[in-house]
Amino acid sequence: MINYFFLLLVIVMLGSAIAIIFIRNLLAAVIVVTVVSLVASILFIFIASPDVAITEATIGAALTTVIFVLALSRTKKKT
Amino acid sequence: MIITISLILIGIAVFLSFLRLLIGPTVSDRLLAADTLTTITAASIVLVAFVLGRLIYMDVAIVYAVIGFVGVVTVARYLEGGI
Repeated sequence: MINYFFLLLVIVMLGSAIAIIFIRNLLAAVIVVTVVSLVASILFIFIASPDVAITEATIGAALTTVIFVLALSRTKKKT
Repeated sequence: MIITISLILIGIAVFLSFLRLLIGPTVSDRLLAADTLTTITAASIVLVAFVLGRLIYMDVAIVYAVIGFVGVVTVARYLEGGI
């Protein structure tokens, strides 16, 4: 039963990764990147490596989003 | 039995949030869907740790619950115009 749950998570991860290509809004793409690393953290637990999952949760979910949003804020033209 | 029901319900929640993430018209919809997925992820990590029988996996859920809000708060602050 839990294998089907992980299959659903892999489908969510793949769908998010494909959706990043077609999203034209950069801020929405950054949010979808967060979801990809979110699901990757659970899949690291499935292959029995919780320390890598903790690192992925810290770097991928928090730090990458902050850095991307700061970069968008610095490079966007002020209106 | 109760584990199967919990897995099915969490799966439905993940699917619905994923749909809102894909078809959300505005950035705020996608942001709320990502925040919901963060909460669902913390819950599902606890459930997976219970099913697999390894309590060391609970630490990942603790880290997620502590640090998961930072990205959402950053994007919300950017939408507000603060950064």
